[in-house]
Amino acid sequence: MTAMPAKPGLLQQISGLPQRGHMSWFEIILLAICVAWVAFGIAPTFQDVVVLSFLFAGLALAWNIAGGCAGLISFGHAAFFGIGAYTSTILFLNYNVTPWIGIFVGAVAAAVAGAVLSLICARLKGPFFILSSLAFAEVARIIALNWSSVTGGAEGLSIPPVPDLANMVLGSKTAYEALTLVYLLAAYAMTRWLEASRFGFYLFAIRDNDEAAAAAGINPLMVRSAAMALSAALTGMGGTLFAQYFLYLDPTYVISPELSFQFALLPAVGGLGTAVGPILGSFLITPLSELLRANLGNAAAGLHLVIYSAGLIVVMLYFPSGIAGALEKLKPRRPQR
Amino acid sequence: MNTIFQLVISGLLIGSVYALMSIGLTLIFGVLRVVNFAHGEFLMIAMYGVWAFSRLLGLNPYFAAIAVVPAMFLFGALVYRIVIGAALAKPHLVVVFATMGLSIFLQNVALMAMTADLRDVPPIFARSISIGGIFIKGELLLGFIVTLLCTVILQWVIKHTFLGKAIRATVQDGEAAKLMGIAVPRIFLITFAAGSALVGLAACVMVPLFSVFPTVGLNFVLIAFVIVVLGGMGSIEGALLGGFCVGVVQSVSAYYVAPAFGQLFFFLLFLLVMIFRPNGLFGQKGAATLGMNE
Amino acid sequence: MRGIERIGIILASLLLAAASLPAKAQENIRIGVLLPLTGPLAKNGLENWEAMQIARDMINERGGINGRKVEYLQGDANTPNAAISETERLITKDGIKITTGSFASPIAIAVSQAAERHGVFHWETTGAAEVITRRGFKHTFQVGAPARKYGQAAVDFILNDLAKRLNKPVDALKIALLWENRAFGKSVGDGIRAYTQSKGIKLAYDEGYDQTATDMTPIVQKLKDVAPDIVIAISFPNDAILFQRKAKELDFNVAAFIGVSAGYSSPDLRDSIGDSVVGICVADFPPKVNAAVLTPETKKVAEEFYKRYEAKLKRPPAGHAAAGFSAVWALFTEVLPKAKTFEPDELREIALKLDLPEGSLVNGSGIKFTNFDWPDDPKDAGQNLRASIGVWQWTKAGNEEVFPPELATQPPIMVPLPDWSKR
Repeated sequence: MTAMPAKPGLLQQISGLPQRGHMSWFEIILLAICVAWVAFGIAPTFQDVVVLSFLFAGLALAWNIAGGCAGLISFGHAAFFGIGAYTSTILFLNYNVTPWIGIFVGAVAAAVAGAVLSLICARLKGPFFILSSLAFAEVARIIALNWSSVTGGAEGLSIPPVPDLANMVLGSKTAYEALTLVYLLAAYAMTRWLEASRFGFYLFAIRDNDEAAAAAGINPLMVRSAAMALSAALTGMGGTLFAQYFLYLDPTYVISPELSFQFALLPAVGGLGTAVGPILGSFLITPLSELLRANLGNAAAGLHLVIYSAGLIVVMLYFPSGIAGALEKLKPRRPQR
Repeated sequence: MNTIFQLVISGLLIGSVYALMSIGLTLIFGVLRVVNFAHGEFLMIAMYGVWAFSRLLGLNPYFAAIAVVPAMFLFGALVYRIVIGAALAKPHLVVVFATMGLSIFLQNVALMAMTADLRDVPPIFARSISIGGIFIKGELLLGFIVTLLCTVILQWVIKHTFLGKAIRATVQDGEAAKLMGIAVPRIFLITFAAGSALVGLAACVMVPLFSVFPTVGLNFVLIAFVIVVLGGMGSIEGALLGGFCVGVVQSVSAYYVAPAFGQLFFFLLFLLVMIFRPNGLFGQKGAATLGMNE
Repeated sequence: MRGIERIGIILASLLLAAASLPAKAQENIRIGVLLPLTGPLAKNGLENWEAMQIARDMINERGGINGRKVEYLQGDANTPNAAISETERLITKDGIKITTGSFASPIAIAVSQAAERHGVFHWETTGAAEVITRRGFKHTFQVGAPARKYGQAAVDFILNDLAKRLNKPVDALKIALLWENRAFGKSVGDGIRAYTQSKGIKLAYDEGYDQTATDMTPIVQKLKDVAPDIVIAISFPNDAILFQRKAKELDFNVAAFIGVSAGYSSPDLRDSIGDSVVGICVADFPPKVNAAVLTPETKKVAEEFYKRYEAKLKRPPAGHAAAGFSAVWALFTEVLPKAKTFEPDELREIALKLDLPEGSLVNGSGIKFTNFDWPDDPKDAGQNLRASIGVWQWTKAGNEEVFPPELATQPPIMVPLPDWSKR
C-alpha cells in the first residue's frame, strides 16, 4: 500500500513564481506593492499613469477571461467597454442614477451584448471570430456616433467635473488610484476563482480542444457564451470607471479598434490565460506608451509611435508567451512524484 | 430609373477597385490563414510609390506598375522574412499583433517621411463618359478592366500552373500539402510577396481616384476584410464578387437610407454572412469553422 | 545715529530687499500647447503648430512679455483621451497654468475639460463646437468662432448677396446642406439648420455623412435628384476632394457652392483638384482680410506673419492657421502683459474685461467674451462674440474675401457657377 503524501499546508501551496491554480509569492508581493503604492501616495506626479495602469490591468484581466482562458480572441471588446461607459453615463446625466449603481446596470447590458456576440459567432474560429468581433464593435461605434439623441453623437457626453463622491466623481487622483486598484483586485480574484472552479475547468477544456470537450459532455456554446458575458460585464465596468475618470466620452475613441487591440495586446504581452499576465502586460505597456508620447511626442511627429510599434513587434516575436511565459521558463522543473 | 442604374453601375465599378485591393489579402488569408492587419498600410506605401513615380517622371500613374508591382513583391518578401515568417511558428495571436504593430510603424514612418499633406495626381481623363445619361469615370472603368483582367490571369495561373496547384492545395489543407511534398513555407513566402505585389497593382489604379496620406489605409482595410470574408477565404472570384457586393450595397444603402450610416450596412452584411454562410460565397468549406492551417 | 550710518543702513536694507526678490523677471512664461500632431488630424494640427511657433518667435524677438520670454510645452493630442492625458501631464508634472490649442473640436472639448478640472486657464484658438463654452466652465475661453457663426456666415451670404445676384427670391432658392458627421460638421450643421429655420427657410436636403467614406456616388446622385440651387458643405480635406471629383464625374451642377472651413479652405485643395476649385466659396476665418479693416499696428503684424509662414511652408496659411496665430497673438499682446501673478483667476478677469473691436486681430476679429450672461444659455461663458467669419472665394490667382462687404477685398465672381463642361 503506498502512503499518500500529506496534503501540503497552505503556505506550502504558494509557489515562488506564477503558475496556474496556485497563488505565488510573486503575485502576492506584486499586489502588496500596488496597495502600498496607493496607501502611501508614492510618486504623486505619476498618478495619472498609475490610474491608467490599474484600470487597463483590470480591463486586460477581463479580456483574458474570454481570450486567454476560453480561447475567444475578440477584437471587439471596445463595444462592451463603450456599452458600460455610455449606460452608466446616460443613466447619470439623464436620470440622475448614481454611477455606483449605473456601473452594474452597464455590466448587465454589456453581458447581454457579450452573449449576443458569442451566439452570432458560435461556430467561428480564429481570424473569422476576430473579424466578426471587429465588425460587431464597428456597428456599435456607428450607432453610438449617429444616435445623437441618446449618446450625444459626435460631440460626446461630458460629466460635470464637480467632485461628488455619491456620484463617483472623485476629488483626488489618489482616490481614483484606490478605485481602479479595487477593480484590478476584483478582476484578479475573478480570474483566480475561475482557475480553481469547475466552470474554469470547462473554459480551459473548450480552449484547448473543444471537440474533445464536447465529447466529454461539456456544452461549448453555453460555456463560451457565459465566458464572453462575464468578460463583457467586467469590461463594461471598466468602461464606467473610465467615464468617471476622464469625464468625457467620445464615440470615435471609446468604441475604437485601437482600444480593442489594447485590451488584447496587454494580456498577450503579459501572458495569455494566466492571472498575473494581464497585470504585468498593463504595468509594462501603459506607462511605456505614455512615457514615449510625453517625451518624444514633440520631437518629430510620429517618432514615439514608430519606436513603440517597433518595440511591440520585437516583443511579440521573441516573447510569444508573454512575460508570464518567460517567467515560467525560469522556474526549475519540479521532480515528478 | 436613371438613378438606380447609376447607383448600381457606380457601385460595381468602385466595387471592382475594392476587389482588386482585396485579392492579395484573400490569397494571403487563404494560404497562410493570417489576418494581415497591416494590409491598409501596404496599400498606402504602394500608393506613395505610385504617386512619387508619377510625379518624378511626369508619367501616367498606370505606368508606375512597372516599378511598383515588383517593388511591392520585394517589400512583401522582406516583411515576410523579418516579421511574418518568424511569427507563424508562434501562437496565432503573435502574428495578429505583429502585423498590428507593423501597421502603426508604417503609418508613422510615412508621417515622418512624407508629412500629413494630401498627395494627388492630375486627372487622366478630362471628362467622364456618358452613356444614356449614366456617367462613367474613365479612371474607374480602367480600374474595372484591370481588375477583370487580373482576375482572369490569376485564375489561369491558379488552375493551370504547378504553383497554382500548390497554392490551392495549401489553401485546402496545409498539413496534407506538406505530406504531398509541397514546400509549404516557400509557398507561404511566394503568396505573401505576390499578395503584396497585387496591392501594388491596386495602388496604380487607386491613386488617380484617391488622395494619398499616411492614414489612408485605415479607410480601406476594413472594406478589404469584409470582402475577403464575404467572398470566401482564398477565392479570387469570391473577392471579385465580394467587391461588387460591397460596392453596390454601400452605394444603394447610402442613397436610400442615410449616408451617415455609411459602413453600417456592409458590417451588418458581414455579420449576416458570418451567421448563415461563414465560409463566404466561394470559400473553402469548413474554413471558418475548422480553424488554422498548421 | 549719525547721518551716514542711517544712509548706510537704508542702502543695506534696500539691497537686501532687492536681493531677496524672486528672480521672476527672467523666468519664461510657460504655455502648454495641445494639438493633434499625429494621426488623421495631423496635417492641420501641424499647420496650426507652425503658426503658433511664429507667434512665439515674433513676441520673443520683440522682447517677450514685460521682459519675459514665452516658452511652449507641447502635447500630442491625437485623440480626445490622449488630449486629456497630455493636458494632465503638462499640468501636474510641468506645473502649467495656461494652455492653448487645439484645432479640432473633439480635442478642444477634451483639453478644456481637463484644464477646467485643475482650474487651469485654457485659450482655445479654433475648436468650434458649441458645447466647448456651454458647460459652465470658468477658465475656458474660445477665441475662434462658435460653430453656429460659420453656418450663419454662409446663410447670410446667400440671403444678402447671392440671392440678388442670382435674381431669385429667397423662398424660391433650394438650399442643400451636407455635413460630415463628427463634432465640427454636426455642430455647424445644427447651427445652419436652426438659423435657416429661424429665417423661415426650409432646406431641400439635409444629410450627415461618414467622413471616412470612400465613395461619394450615392450622395452626389441624391443631390442631383434634389437639384438644389446652392449647396453648403462641411467636409474635411479628403472628403472634399472626393466630393468635387464625383460632382464633376456625375455632372452635378449648382449655381453656387459654399464649403464651410476645414476641407474647403485647405490650400491643398487647389493642388488636388486644380482649376475646378475656382469659384467655390468658403465660409471660414478670413485668410486675408481687406487691409483697410485692420488697425495699422495689426496690419504690420499680419504682413510679417504671412511672410514668415510662406517662407517656412511654401504656401499661404489656411484660415484656421491664421486664426491660431491671431488668437495666441492676442493672448500675448492683450491678456498676458496685464497679468501680474499669471494665476488663472487673474487671467480670467483680464479676459472678461477685453473689449476689442473687429479688426484688432490679424484675421479681422475682435474680442468680447460672454460671461454666463448669454440669453440662450446661462451656462455659456468664454465665448467670443466678435470672432469674424466671412466668406471668401477661390480665384485663379489665389483667394479673395467676398463677404461681408466690410471685410471683402472684391465681389464674388462666377455667380452662377458655370457647368462642369465649362470649368
